[in-house]
Amino acid sequence: MSFDILFNQFLSGIARGALLFLVASGLSLTFGVLRVLNFAHGSLYMLGAFISYSIWKWLLIPVVGFYVATLLTAFIMGGIGLLIEYYILRRLYARGWPEQLLATYALILIITDIVKWFWGGEFLSIPRPKPFTGAVFLFGFPFPSYNFFIILLGLALVVFLWWLVFKTHLGDIIRAAAHDRDMVSALGIPIPWLFTWIFALGAMIAGLSGAVTAPYGAIALGMDIEIIIECFAVVVIGGMGSLPGTLLGALIVGQVYSFGIMYKPELALAFIFMVMAIVLIIRPWGIFGRPER
Amino acid sequence: MEANQMEQQKSWKKRAWWLIVLIAAGLIAPHVISEFYLLILGEALIMSLFALSFNLLFGTMGQLPFGQAAFYGLGGYGMAMLLTKLQINFWLSFVAGIGIAALFGLLVGIFCVRLRGIYFSILTLAFGQLIFVIIYKWHDFTGGDDGIQGVFPPEFLKDPMAYYYFILLVFGLSAFILWRIIHSPFGYTLQAMRENSERTEFLGIPIARYQLIAFVISAAFTGLAGALWAPFYRSVAPSTLMWIKSGEPVMATILGGAGLFFGPVLGTFLITFVHAYLLGFTHFWPIIMGTLILIVIFLLPGGILGFIKEKRDNRKKQNQPSQG
Repeated sequence: MSFDILFNQFLSGIARGALLFLVASGLSLTFGVLRVLNFAHGSLYMLGAFISYSIWKWLLIPVVGFYVATLLTAFIMGGIGLLIEYYILRRLYARGWPEQLLATYALILIITDIVKWFWGGEFLSIPRPKPFTGAVFLFGFPFPSYNFFIILLGLALVVFLWWLVFKTHLGDIIRAAAHDRDMVSALGIPIPWLFTWIFALGAMIAGLSGAVTAPYGAIALGMDIEIIIECFAVVVIGGMGSLPGTLLGALIVGQVYSFGIMYKPELALAFIFMVMAIVLIIRPWGIFGRPER
Repeated sequence: MEANQMEQQKSWKKRAWWLIVLIAAGLIAPHVISEFYLLILGEALIMSLFALSFNLLFGTMGQLPFGQAAFYGLGGYGMAMLLTKLQINFWLSFVAGIGIAALFGLLVGIFCVRLRGIYFSILTLAFGQLIFVIIYKWHDFTGGDDGIQGVFPPEFLKDPMAYYYFILLVFGLSAFILWRIIHSPFGYTLQAMRENSERTEFLGIPIARYQLIAFVISAAFTGLAGALWAPFYRSVAPSTLMWIKSGEPVMATILGGAGLFFGPVLGTFLITFVHAYLLGFTHFWPIIMGTLILIVIFLLPGGILGFIKEKRDNRKKQNQPSQG
């Protein structure tokens, strides 16, 4: 096993990790503040991919079409997230988490059918946007330059979320609400309003990440289930609700996946679950998480 | 405690009449309904057993496992592989299938019972998916996505009606055993753990061991449901282990009412028959099912059966002063 192969695999793992972070960060943010594990987060991601495809096709602007479609998708998904929180989740905060889980499970069924209704069952894809169409050669191996776009976007999201959570007034409220919801409410901050916007932000990130996966050529039914299971692994390994944990979890899962595929492709997913099980056994609340009381 | 037991015996006798009605309906049904709906009825009974064993952990013990399909699939695969590959006797394979599910329940349970709440759900989901991926990808051993074909019941059970009665018998016995377990000192301990695990622990009860035993019992009965399913469908496929399958008993139980013994059964029957009916004229049944779930969660907290019971209890309360 020479160094260049390992390095190439490592870089693929980073790209995979960046993509996982894009999706999982929204899931983690929602759980951290709302304490609701959104099973349908993957479905929002899938819906985002399909919507971006339609916008892209409708616009047909040569170079920037993809970027415009991605941005528009993010805002549309944010709007959809707003509606879901306001009309569905809001009624369930007083109930137990099993009902919340089941409600988001119902959303999976509904969104899957809506997608089937509007776009049918076939595979769709968007060509890779300029200037990320070609490949970069590293140590003689071709590495898709679009992967760098994903890595850059992942980094941008890390910086944005870090700024949002740790440097803004809203971030103070987010962290306080994750710590003690009742206290924040007692200080006169409208918790329902905060929840709506956080969920919308989560949906926006899901839509954005769905839109940027489109050029990988895999917009299809079932992409929701595929990603959500891996995202669960990410947030569980890193610690649910912790953004640094989500980043670490995404990087770990990305590497495990990438090297797992090299070692035994059919068991790549199994390796991820094994790592997840080991982390949960040693540290049930994840690497950066805190025990639930 | 004694008063409680008396209360229970009283309610048991009160309940007896509609239990007899249900059993009679189950016995007469195959002579009344079409063969298509007879198959659906068989499926509903098998899935009801799945949901009942799920609810031992959820309704009784207060933990929500999201990977039960693994044991359902293991029961089916275990019996199907022994039967078709090693040509072992049907009944031995059947029992071995349950044993395999219980064994894996023990292995998975050892790790999972240390966790609570949503972490328990996710770890069971992870182990369930792990078992699914291994069976799905290990093509040489399990047949991968082709599954295993040609799982035939013995000659005298080949007729759909005969197999239906077999399902009914197994379901009835299992439901009775599960009912007895829930209403035994062991079951009451599980309920105490659901209400307050810390206090239960202070009473000197080894919580983890009780949870593990409950987990293995649940896995065994789930495996039994899977072993019933394989010869009913004449094959097993990896989709029986998928997490979507794990969601079905969750859906059915919350729909029917987790707090009552027959809640999961009602929910399963509702889902199975609505599904079968809708498939007749639309492919878009998930959207209807999803909407149905949301409506029930919003309007009927406690599930359908829980809602009915609450109404009846309220009426009793209103009547009592005039009687007394």
